[in-house]
Amino acid sequence: MKALAIASVATVAALLLLSWAGTARAGAADDLMLGGFRLSGEVEAGVREYIERPPESRRAKFQEYEDMRPGLFLNYLRLSLQKPDGMYGMDLYGTRWGFDDQRYEFNVGRLGLWDMFVEWDQIPHVYYTTARWLATETGRGIFTLPSVRPPLNAHNSAPSLDEIALQTNRGLIGLKLTPTPDVEVTTSYQVIRRDGNRDFSMAFGSPGNNFYGILEPIDQTSHDFRVGVAIAREQWQAQFGYTFSYFANANRWVRADNPCFPGAPAGCAANDFAAGSPITGQTSLPPNNMANTFTGALGVNLPLRTRINTAFTYSLYLQNDTFLPHTINAAITSPDLVLPQRSLNGIVQNFIGNFTAVSRPFGSLPLTLTAKYRIHDFQDNSDQITFPGFVLDDKTLEGARRAGRWSWIRQNADLEGRYQLFAPAALTIGVDWQRWDRNEHREVPVSDEFGAKAALDVTPVDWLLARLTYRPSFLRIERYNSAAHAEHAVAEDPVTALQGQSVLLRKFDEAERNIQSVTALLQFTPLDRLSISPVFGYRWVDYIASSLGLQQEQAWNVGLDFAWTPVDRVTITASYSHEQDTSKMRSRSRPVTGTGATLDFVDFDWVSNIADTIDSFTLNVRTTLIPSKLDWIVSASYQYALGRIDNSNPIIPKSGTAAQNLTATAQPWPAFEDELATIETALRYYFTRSWSASVFYSFQTFRKHDWRTDTLNPFIGPDAVWQANDSRNYTAHIIGATLAYRFGR
Amino acid sequence: MSWRWTALAVGFIAVGTVVGVLLMLPASTPAQAPVTPAAPQPTATGYVGSETCKGCHEDQWNKFATTKMGRLMLQHPRSAKEGMGCEGCHGPGKEHVEKGGGKGVGGMITFAKNDKTPVDKRNQVCTTCHNKGPHLFWKGSAHESRDVPCTSCHVVMENFTPKHSLARATVIDTCGQCHVKQKDQQLRSSHMPLREGKMTCTSCHNPHGTISVSLLKEPWPNATCFACHADKRGPFLWVHAPVNESCSNCHDPHGSNHERMLKVAKPRLCQQCHIESRHPTSPYGRDVSSQKFVLGKACLNCHVNIHGSNHPSGFAFTR
Repeated sequence: MKALAIASVATVAALLLLSWAGTARAGAADDLMLGGFRLSGEVEAGVREYIERPPESRRAKFQEYEDMRPGLFLNYLRLSLQKPDGMYGMDLYGTRWGFDDQRYEFNVGRLGLWDMFVEWDQIPHVYYTTARWLATETGRGIFTLPSVRPPLNAHNSAPSLDEIALQTNRGLIGLKLTPTPDVEVTTSYQVIRRDGNRDFSMAFGSPGNNFYGILEPIDQTSHDFRVGVAIAREQWQAQFGYTFSYFANANRWVRADNPCFPGAPAGCAANDFAAGSPITGQTSLPPNNMANTFTGALGVNLPLRTRINTAFTYSLYLQNDTFLPHTINAAITSPDLVLPQRSLNGIVQNFIGNFTAVSRPFGSLPLTLTAKYRIHDFQDNSDQITFPGFVLDDKTLEGARRAGRWSWIRQNADLEGRYQLFAPAALTIGVDWQRWDRNEHREVPVSDEFGAKAALDVTPVDWLLARLTYRPSFLRIERYNSAAHAEHAVAEDPVTALQGQSVLLRKFDEAERNIQSVTALLQFTPLDRLSISPVFGYRWVDYIASSLGLQQEQAWNVGLDFAWTPVDRVTITASYSHEQDTSKMRSRSRPVTGTGATLDFVDFDWVSNIADTIDSFTLNVRTTLIPSKLDWIVSASYQYALGRIDNSNPIIPKSGTAAQNLTATAQPWPAFEDELATIETALRYYFTRSWSASVFYSFQTFRKHDWRTDTLNPFIGPDAVWQANDSRNYTAHIIGATLAYRFGR
Repeated sequence: MSWRWTALAVGFIAVGTVVGVLLMLPASTPAQAPVTPAAPQPTATGYVGSETCKGCHEDQWNKFATTKMGRLMLQHPRSAKEGMGCEGCHGPGKEHVEKGGGKGVGGMITFAKNDKTPVDKRNQVCTTCHNKGPHLFWKGSAHESRDVPCTSCHVVMENFTPKHSLARATVIDTCGQCHVKQKDQQLRSSHMPLREGKMTCTSCHNPHGTISVSLLKEPWPNATCFACHADKRGPFLWVHAPVNESCSNCHDPHGSNHERMLKVAKPRLCQQCHIESRHPTSPYGRDVSSQKFVLGKACLNCHVNIHGSNHPSGFAFTR
């Protein structure tokens, strides 16, 4: 890669020299001409070195989405060819050449007639660099352990994985034609390619059995083809579009050896290596799928200052990959495991309709009326398949299950009126409604949410804008079907039914709730180039009928955005925000006895108060210390997040056995926090109008304390093997220098 | 791996360059002859022509002439409207000139913050031409209905940014003028690559108005996510119902301090909807028996295919 970076720099330098040698100067002294085109551009290359570089094991967060290797780099190159009359132009832009996060954009076009664009963008994504793993990948997605399974604590000495990471590469090519100013035709093709691994896991039995942290092999490609036509006349505009999307996954499954079988490795429970346990497990990966989407939209200006917008979208999602077998555990055979059909024949149809009307019908009266209606009909017409039997985690033969299909219809309607009270103040009053029609397979067949809106926008003086919005809403349902989860069950079994969802639970996305929401924005612009914008937001959600489940949510935030250019040479922008999100949930520990009876004791209830508090700060200063000679840039950011989950029992659990009481007893959890601070500063000196050099320094530090991952080893008992994935703390100090050349206009 | 992708990228660019150069070769007959509309008649319509404007506003004229709009309107207008040049946006200038100039004199639209012209009138100037594609649903959109002027986000008179003529250096900074919370969410430990420059607000949103909720570009929220995460699109054999309805039931796409941008830490997020018997319902703690359900991936230590499974035995999303 260093060689490539050097070669890139050399190539660019040669290109520039050739350009310089082969051009003729014409017209203004700043023009560089190449074959009748005005050539301009800039290139910057440099070198980056670390004063302190995080070790490999601590680089996950540092290099999460960036390639931060030291050494030579070609920061960016921009080339522009323009006809002197501006009719034709070509632009090439590339950054971080040769690195895993390089990006290129190419654009060529004839002014006002057509544009062709090509993009290439690479995004690395590093998940973890701390994994330790004993298995060997003997084939793509096949993870093998020694045939004599070692004791589980041997996984703590397993070799480290360099990184668990993904590389996403995206290519896009497109064309936009504007044969006349009111007609536009666009077409594009995009391919996204993902390669690498992601952290994954595999269970080998029912709850309480062992699991093994493994990798998900990622070899995925998405193809997107789009074409669209837009016609715009003075009184109406129309658009039509089609999108074809195809997702291809080269891996249909992942297999991993069971660390607890065969044999009876120390650290495993007896149930983990009972007769019939799986030696190897197999989990499915996302299947290939495709989507066809047709859109049509029309906007019409009508009399009485009325505007109508309508849009319709029809999407067809298809998936028909061949099923995997129920299990690869040869010890489990049954006629019930014969697949009733080879694939899902998956078909989902989405129909979305939108209608918006905006009108100011009363000429002299400053009243604007808006009506909106939207319907989204999601119809899952895939085959509804009943399996006579299934295998739980490659270990246990179980009874029949039916795969339900969840279709729904969502409707929204809004009505609002905006009245200009007097010149600087406008009041908006509105009502809205949302209905979910879920079929009988979810708990709430029909829900209605009624909302209102009151908004005031005031500009009492030129330099002050105030926006205040209040939105209450109320969701009500007809009935909550606690037995909806029985959709999967084929045979009626009262005992099993009771082991299902608590009848007291109300799932938060379907539960009755009252919401109060307020947002406020002030924007002070006492000077043309000074803007101060404090913001405030508050949201309170009360789940009024939820005996169990989410009870309340509260979120509030205050923030400030600041931008100031006191003199031409200095620009300062800054922002700060403080947020607090809290929620309260109530649940109940529901043990099952040996005879299958489910115990529902009131004193087995437990409550969690969950709170996330985040402070964020950013600052950017750009200043010209010496006009046309010396610029200085400083950027800083800081973010601190504190998460708390405080657990308690409203009543001390006493109704069960000692073990059941202990399971139901809430325990304190330590808080978890993370903190990120960055500082970047650069001085740029302009030798001439074309040549400049910069020196830069960059500092980053990340700190995290999370009891759930800080001291996680692959094996900490019992009968579970993780990869010990953790985002470690890091500090980085980087220095560097660059040289930039700008040519042409 | 990198060198192959670099080679592919270079090849991509090379092909594009060749095609571009070929396309740039002048055709024997131009596909479209530029329109040269007749110069506006000053006395009849109140227009004085852009050259008159240049007489006093040369600095602005020169900056505007380098922009795409400026090159079109001042040098290569395609229609009579574009041929009006400066006055196509700022209004007829005769009265302004006759009264000796000055801010707002003669009813000129300045587009400044203190412009007396109502915001909807100012925006109407822009939407006269910018009324298709991403701007089709401007009328009635969230920003339009709150009288947000186009110039709140865009600077038209000069190339302040390489693309889109933004009012601030980047898209995120422009949106962050008002949406401070969402802007600062990009700093969260679990985030999409916005602060790394790989995505912007407009990767998912169209601030000019859309048919979808929250100004999302795709027809419905999940389709926005599927544009990059098509592996979650399905349809799957075993469906996790809230996933089907909205990814934002569980995820906060702007950023979170919980892994995978979850709104609430696991296992509590799952336990808000799952109070079946046995293990989903226990409060757990730091004891050994709780570890499997709290540490690492928590519930997803076993229920790994949580977005849906196509495995015949995957009804609990463990396969």
